[in-house]
Amino acid sequence: MPTLLSFDQAPPLSAPLRYFLTAPLFAVLAGVLLLYSGPDAFASRWTPTALALTHLITVGFMLQVMLGAMQQLFPVVVGANFPRPLRVATLVHASITPGALFLAAAFLTHEPLLFAAAVACLVAGVTFFVVAAASALRGLAWTLPIVLGFKLSLIGLGVTVLTGMLLAVSLGLELDWPLLELTDLHLGWGLMVWACILLAAVAFVTVPMFQLTPEYPAWFSRRFALSVLASVVLWTLADLAGLKSAATLLTVVIVVLAVVFTLVTLRLLGQSKRAKTDASHMFWIVSMVSALAACGLWLADGVVDRLGQWQGRPALFGVLLLIGCFTSVMIGMLYKIVPFLVWLHLQNTGRGHVKAPNMKQVLPQVRIDRQMLVHQLALALLLLAVVWPRWFVYPAGLALICASVWLWLNLLCATAVYRNQRLKMGIVIQ
Amino acid sequence: MRQSRTTIDARGLEPPEPFELTMAALESCDASQSVLLLLSREPYPLYRVLERNGYCRETRHRLDGTVEVLIWRETP
Repeated sequence: MPTLLSFDQAPPLSAPLRYFLTAPLFAVLAGVLLLYSGPDAFASRWTPTALALTHLITVGFMLQVMLGAMQQLFPVVVGANFPRPLRVATLVHASITPGALFLAAAFLTHEPLLFAAAVACLVAGVTFFVVAAASALRGLAWTLPIVLGFKLSLIGLGVTVLTGMLLAVSLGLELDWPLLELTDLHLGWGLMVWACILLAAVAFVTVPMFQLTPEYPAWFSRRFALSVLASVVLWTLADLAGLKSAATLLTVVIVVLAVVFTLVTLRLLGQSKRAKTDASHMFWIVSMVSALAACGLWLADGVVDRLGQWQGRPALFGVLLLIGCFTSVMIGMLYKIVPFLVWLHLQNTGRGHVKAPNMKQVLPQVRIDRQMLVHQLALALLLLAVVWPRWFVYPAGLALICASVWLWLNLLCATAVYRNQRLKMGIVIQ
Repeated sequence: MRQSRTTIDARGLEPPEPFELTMAALESCDASQSVLLLLSREPYPLYRVLERNGYCRETRHRLDGTVEVLIWRETP
């Protein structure tokens, strides 16, 4: 059994908040880059702008939110304590933030020194996080779906960073390494073993808890993460051995697993006991529908010839998956996690003498609803920009900036409530 | 021996409602009473608060997945 948390071991609020408050700024940078580059941004997945945009979202936004959420969720949902949580957060955040900036700048300039700096920062930050997280999870049963998901996703993160490091070294030093194969491995492990398994593990707990749905079926939650890992390992081996048919078949298996996850989640969301759907519920639906569309696009690629020849296909897949699926669900979760954390920490500060404001007072629903609408508008415009870049790329860039700034302001609003209430409580308790 | 028990079925309630209901129940209980909390998963943040406030607790897992947390005041 996990050990009990004592108050002193509880991660300070600033530990996860630094990640959550930094992440939207990278999405703002992505919007600015989109405006700067104009209609050429989606011309190909290999352009410097497309690569920089992708990594501003994946490393700048997603990695920040995922690491912050893991550091906060471990003690709350599985009773696993990070050793020295504030020090871990400080070092990891101070490494991955410049790392993401260096990486985006390296793609745009092709400067070897920037690639080297990005690799050094990201490898250091992620290694430190993985070691600390593994230490926190040590001793917890692998049979619990969420623990299994956390552990396997850390392996996925490690492989993603390792392949990313090889790619960056190869690009920086202009080495003759198999870039296409390495990129496939980097994508497969990053999207499926790191991001998808982590998303599913968190969903197994937070969807029933916050969306008031039935629990995920045991047959699914126990087997999903291992099935994804086994399929990706086999696909990797087939790919490295040059067995093209086997590798293609295994990619279909992997995509079908993702489809099953989205369908099970959508079915559960449909069974929610909520009297009225709130923004976080909508974010989950948008996320799962986007993931389903991305999977459909992937599967259709092999069947519909015209789709395979269309240059915008990788960009459409990227927007659906990164902005539609992952960014949406992460924003939805931030709107549950941050007010909950503020409430929890104020409850602790009040020591039972002063009541903490409820979660709706920490972050008013109307602010969340309005930001959600702008985010959905940004997603729709980005999808249109892939098809008609000349018409929609500038509105899409502007909408992405607006949605991300709004998210940042909403999170700042919750932080300000925490700061003000703490001051008031300090006066009352004294 | 505890004389009476208040049961809170918090399965299907959104956080932090189970926590708030438990705290309210504990505040209205005297030393001879206990609170039985039924949840869908273990409430780790609640454990921390219980420990800090001098409460004892015993957790059991039912076969249907329900987590039972029995809480009572530690008597000197």
